[in-house]
Amino acid sequence: MVVQRLAALGRFGQFAGRVVARVVTPPWEPAATAHHLWAVVSRCLAPVLATTVPLGMVMALQGLAIFDLYGAQRLLSPLVSVATLRELSPVLASVLVAAQAGSAFAAELGAMRIREEIDATEVMAIDPLRVHVVPRLVALLVACPLLNLVGSIGGIVGGWITAVVLHGETNGVYWANLWALTHPSDLWGGFVKTFVFGWIIGLLACYHGFHAEGGAPGVGRAVNDTVVVACTSFIVANYFLTSALFGAVGS
Amino acid sequence: MKLLGHLRGFAAFVVAVGRATLANPLPVGRALHEAYAIGVRSLPILLIISVFVGTNLTVQGRNAFADLGGESLVGMFVALAGVREMAPIMVASMVAAKAGTEMASQIAVMRTQEQIDALQVMAIDPHWFLVTPRLLGIVVVLPALTMISILALMLAGLIVGQVQLGLDPVAFVVQARATTAPEHLLYCAIKAVCFGIIICLVSCYCGFASDPGPSGVGRATNAAVVVSAVLSAILNYWLSTVMFGR
Repeated sequence: MVVQRLAALGRFGQFAGRVVARVVTPPWEPAATAHHLWAVVSRCLAPVLATTVPLGMVMALQGLAIFDLYGAQRLLSPLVSVATLRELSPVLASVLVAAQAGSAFAAELGAMRIREEIDATEVMAIDPLRVHVVPRLVALLVACPLLNLVGSIGGIVGGWITAVVLHGETNGVYWANLWALTHPSDLWGGFVKTFVFGWIIGLLACYHGFHAEGGAPGVGRAVNDTVVVACTSFIVANYFLTSALFGAVGS
Repeated sequence: MKLLGHLRGFAAFVVAVGRATLANPLPVGRALHEAYAIGVRSLPILLIISVFVGTNLTVQGRNAFADLGGESLVGMFVALAGVREMAPIMVASMVAAKAGTEMASQIAVMRTQEQIDALQVMAIDPHWFLVTPRLLGIVVVLPALTMISILALMLAGLIVGQVQLGLDPVAFVVQARATTAPEHLLYCAIKAVCFGIIICLVSCYCGFASDPGPSGVGRATNAAVVVSAVLSAILNYWLSTVMFGR
């Protein structure tokens, strides 16, 4: 059991090394990359917004319950913007990208492996990593920060809907205080986080799809493993990134 | 158009499951088996996720309140955000990712291999045989998983607060206790039951409605996790409004 796990880890390391070597060296496949980028963004946009907007609304709801006690409603929009920019949007957008795009990539590559299309590519002396894996990975690296930006805006608008539209807080107060506690570094922090998460999702999805075996059930397993392992890894990574980016050492 | 077709299909599926569950004897043994399988297989990743969400909430809470000079409010923040929102929704997302995708891919494989048709030929209602035990199992086990996750999350927050950030653990616990009433845990359990029903019905429907073949299985698995995560997040807002709103 332990030996199998270690062997799988080693195979993943080998795979990751070979993929990274191809990401940084030409020739690239700009057309395929653009195609996958468009697919990721168009397929993930609605789920990302459909998750971040309600969570922004919930944040504002719970925040109002607390700040009303202290009469500090002006702190509501900073709470929403800090939480959304630093945590909610990067993590949720990435969970959705892993669930939607990562699993789609694993399913596509897994189906290609089962139908022996990847072997056919190799027989034609075309590098399957370069034409199938690298464009998908690069597309995720670009799409994750982009979707995070959209998700952040969605979360802040969601908070505005709860506070101003549904609970009648003052519109001007919400927008004027929005940036009271946020710094540009929060935005960059979100970008760095989602870029790292993009690497994690892309490598894991392509690894599981590329090494799928055992017919249709194997594809299902590959998709399942991708979502679970990717989400777990980047929530663990998120803690270390938060500690590193937003500086948190005991006083 | 396709979406409307799926909505109609899903409604018909829910009705069929409800009717099959009520009309046949309850499969208690297989439901317990499913509950055990879902709970045990999801528990390790849930513990990892909960621990790191708890640590993360603590670090962020301390950061946010340090500007306001209110580091003593961290316990309140972690209890509020963690217990009421993060734990239920995180557990739901991870169970959707782990158990939901498994349900979808198992049933989609059965669809591909014509096992569902075989059940029908044997005059066994596939909804009752495949969906009902999973539904009962997840409804039983998801509240329990949520409670375990809340415990792990708060403990992790407490430990990181003391070790990494140097917060007072007693103040942390006192504030967390002050923010959380016993009925809040009941609300979390109700949330978990609702999410469980959504995850199970959506995932099983995706499996039943899948196209045959490897790519059909992949697409069904994919749709299961995305749709159930999004629906859980939206439902969470309404549940929070009813339970915690003013």
